[in-house]
Amino acid sequence: MRKFSLVEFSVDHPRLVVALAVIVTLLFMTQFPKITTDTNPKNMLPATSDVRVSNDEVEKTFGLYEDTIVLGIVNEKGILNRTTLGRIQRITNEVVRIKGVAARDVAGFTTIDNVTAEGDTLRVAPLMAKVPEGAAGIERLRKTLHENHLFVDRIISKDDTTTAIYVPLEKDANGKEIADRIREIVKFEQGEERYHVAGDPVARDTFGAEMFKLMGIFSPIAGMIMFAVSFFMFRSLFLSASIMAPAMMIIICSMGLLIGLGFPVHIMSSMAPVFLMAIATDSIHIFNEFYFRFHEKHDKKAAILETMRAVGKPLIYTDITTAVGFASLMLANIIPVKVFGFGVAFGTMLLLLLSFCLIPALLTFIRVDKVERLTAAEETATSKTSRFLMILGRVGVRRPGATILTGVVLVLLAVLGVSRIHVNNNMVEWFKAGSDIRGADQALNAALGGTSLAYVVAQAQEDDFMKSPEAMRYLEGLQRHLEKLPMVGKTFSVVDYVKRINRVLHDDDPAFDAVPETKEMIGQYIFLFSMSAKPSDLDNVVDYPFRKANIWVQMKTWDVQATRDLIKAMDEYALAHPMPITLKPAGTAYFNLVWNDEVLWDMVKGFLAALVMVFVILIFNFRSVKWAMVSYVPLLFTILLLYGVIGFMGKDFDMPISVLSCLSLGMAVDFAIHFVSRLQLRRAETGGAEPLADSLVWTAARPGKGILRNAILFAAAFSVMIFAPLTPYVTVGAFIVSMMLLSAVMTIIYLPALIILLQNWLFKEV
Amino acid sequence: MKRIWAITMMTICLLAATEAFAASAMEVMKNSQAAFLYQGKDFKVRVLMRLVSRDGRERIREMTMLRINTGEAGGDQKYFIYFFKPADVKDMTFMVHKYPARDDDRWIFVPAINMVRRIAAQDKRSSFVGSDFTYEDVSGRDIEDDAHELLREESSNGRDCFVVKSTPRAGDADYLHRLSWIDKTTFLPVKEEYYDQKGELYRLFTAEEIKEVDGLPTITRRMMKNLQSGHATEVTYTRVEYNIGIEDALFSERFMRQPPKKWTE
Repeated sequence: MRKFSLVEFSVDHPRLVVALAVIVTLLFMTQFPKITTDTNPKNMLPATSDVRVSNDEVEKTFGLYEDTIVLGIVNEKGILNRTTLGRIQRITNEVVRIKGVAARDVAGFTTIDNVTAEGDTLRVAPLMAKVPEGAAGIERLRKTLHENHLFVDRIISKDDTTTAIYVPLEKDANGKEIADRIREIVKFEQGEERYHVAGDPVARDTFGAEMFKLMGIFSPIAGMIMFAVSFFMFRSLFLSASIMAPAMMIIICSMGLLIGLGFPVHIMSSMAPVFLMAIATDSIHIFNEFYFRFHEKHDKKAAILETMRAVGKPLIYTDITTAVGFASLMLANIIPVKVFGFGVAFGTMLLLLLSFCLIPALLTFIRVDKVERLTAAEETATSKTSRFLMILGRVGVRRPGATILTGVVLVLLAVLGVSRIHVNNNMVEWFKAGSDIRGADQALNAALGGTSLAYVVAQAQEDDFMKSPEAMRYLEGLQRHLEKLPMVGKTFSVVDYVKRINRVLHDDDPAFDAVPETKEMIGQYIFLFSMSAKPSDLDNVVDYPFRKANIWVQMKTWDVQATRDLIKAMDEYALAHPMPITLKPAGTAYFNLVWNDEVLWDMVKGFLAALVMVFVILIFNFRSVKWAMVSYVPLLFTILLLYGVIGFMGKDFDMPISVLSCLSLGMAVDFAIHFVSRLQLRRAETGGAEPLADSLVWTAARPGKGILRNAILFAAAFSVMIFAPLTPYVTVGAFIVSMMLLSAVMTIIYLPALIILLQNWLFKEV
Repeated sequence: MKRIWAITMMTICLLAATEAFAASAMEVMKNSQAAFLYQGKDFKVRVLMRLVSRDGRERIREMTMLRINTGEAGGDQKYFIYFFKPADVKDMTFMVHKYPARDDDRWIFVPAINMVRRIAAQDKRSSFVGSDFTYEDVSGRDIEDDAHELLREESSNGRDCFVVKSTPRAGDADYLHRLSWIDKTTFLPVKEEYYDQKGELYRLFTAEEIKEVDGLPTITRRMMKNLQSGHATEVTYTRVEYNIGIEDALFSERFMRQPPKKWTE
């Protein structure tokens, strides 16, 4: 009974409650200036995670860079002319001056080492130190480019229209900032060339930054839409403000708490305000019921108290289930996901508290004459919405068999759809089809070997083994095997350098474009190469003791599925060619795969945990396993249908969707809790005198109106996201909007049908 | 009128001083080149190079280096290098004919295929056998390629030094400018700092050990560190010998294939 005394206390001392709420909010707000941010999605895996440690190790061994930006330069008429080459030279000279760029290892026409033979002279030098003079010079450059396997598809496209400058970044450099700077540099060059800035760091850091910005824009817009929609529903500015006040308060307090505890605001927690705002719509059930009660009683205080008595219990349980849904994320291994789950769960519980003090207190300020006028229309029998809901409810009540049968068919279809779901993730596709980033990526992947970089690290059991002809042939075979995969555009390794030297030493005879016969030859060729080349050329492909070799694999897509296929092909090759060498994947593409799987698996874990917890809470709520099972049906139905549709649409089950599945659970069950609780209350109030069918229709019409209002408000708040420029937001928006509307309809149609069909079983003891 | 006179005088004095400074900067660099790279008529040394990565992994290069001067200090030179390590390049030889005003001639002998090849040498700034030293660091950069400016005199590592700023006249070097600390008594460079295109210090040369051999001060241990990559190369000289009568005939293709033991050991 304590909660009722809290409501009474609040109704009796409304000013005190409001003042306290304001003070608490201000206290949490004092934490805001301490805010720190972290927009790098990579940090979702801690620096100590296996994949980051092993990738760091590989980067150290081979002097590699974690991140590389690819600047593509396209001239439809061919880039091999003095004007374009001059631009390439100027741009490269500018790019190496950018802070954060690892200037010494920028690879492009003017910096990449080339091995050639001119007469009896061997030359290891940058491919293009100066722009060649005259047609003959250009022609020589063209020939040099195309006869060297290391250049074709890497820095020159087969049709001569595209080149690329590979810009490695120092650790902790921001990819978006450097990409922006490169865009400024190329803007200076006017002409017919087109420029593309691509690569994982660009996508990742741009996404992080955009996501942050979007949250800053969308949270207020979502708030305004909620305000407008609730005004349209209740026709009272004061009531709309009363709905918004707790929403604002839980957002400020939750964010204040996270900031105060020292967590940086990560891309994940930046989404918390929109979620909290949507969750706060749960309080609409109070306003909905208050309108009905006031219309019946015409006594403000009594209406408030009765309202709270009626909706109190379902509110507690709906908020708890929502909180549990989010708290389940705290089981995740990924810290930012945990923080997000914790923050939203905290906000939800705070909302629950506010529902019993701040909202009743606010309701006391409403002007009686105004409510009279406003609630005049709130009559279950006459209100248009209610009549519509009654019709919906009657569908289930009158034709329960047919309704359920339709449901079963739908579920079967959904299961078929779910079985078609494809687990994949592609960060570049998080940007819309027409966006610069995606366009740049497509253009470069079409013309060159690919912007997505993976490594295959081969490790032998003894030093110098990589210099042996067997090892060289093994690596060469592996490269050819991997290149058979459609998404692998290019590979290169130490073998390519050795073969190149072999050919050049033998008067450029193509017959010598092969692995030499003896270990001495290989050792001396490599040494010869290292006598003049940049040290990093060799470091990037072999380790110091020649025990390990690194194969660079350029892929034409960021699909993590592509990396999975690559690893499969790698394992196949290892199995078919026994050799004392072990193969391991590494690089950004591999990181993305692990990152994706890790986040996904965390979400699945959270989802399963929430599924169980919600069921347990339902049992507690109804003190009955049977009723818990019945209220579980709309939830499962909704989720199955949504995933079925995703399966049929062929949309990948990616990171954003996996995060959503967790969240959807706690929210989709809310309506069923409201429905069943109010139905049971109605049965108790009418003392069993009313036929069950009538009680169901009443429930569909009255608390059902609250459910519909809640769903619409919720959906409205999230619908803004559908217009976001990043696809994960569109997905989240569309998913939540359909989930809310679908679960509302499921509750109003299917619960009555189920309850009618199962009434003997459900009410046996009653 | 008096003031204008005073200002004019001061300006003239200043100009004269700058001129003198520039001249002496050139003087310092010439003396340094003679002491550092042209010491003796000829020179033989066993060189041990340790190439060390940021996290301490090592590559070893071991070689015998021979040099003769065919002219005055600052003039033509010939170098002959015989490799001992790494093991698989044993018997490899490398020869340079160095001409200050034009591109050097370089040859390499590849024993595994018994072949001598000329190597193009237009890029003097490229790495020498994968180390942090460039070809130019080993055999010297043309003094005329840079504008030299005497910045100050200061003590470095207990030695009184001239500090000279050298700025490449053409923009083709990989650095914007370098600062050299030249020991006033030996004229050996005890420290050099290279600044990259962004104006940041990125390469650091230090003379770690200076010994007198046959009365000639010689840097017997030196270090070049790349501050950006964290990679460093330490070069140690042993068995240093000056004026031992190395013949000009040795610096030929024939001897590259079969160098006399007495000169390589």
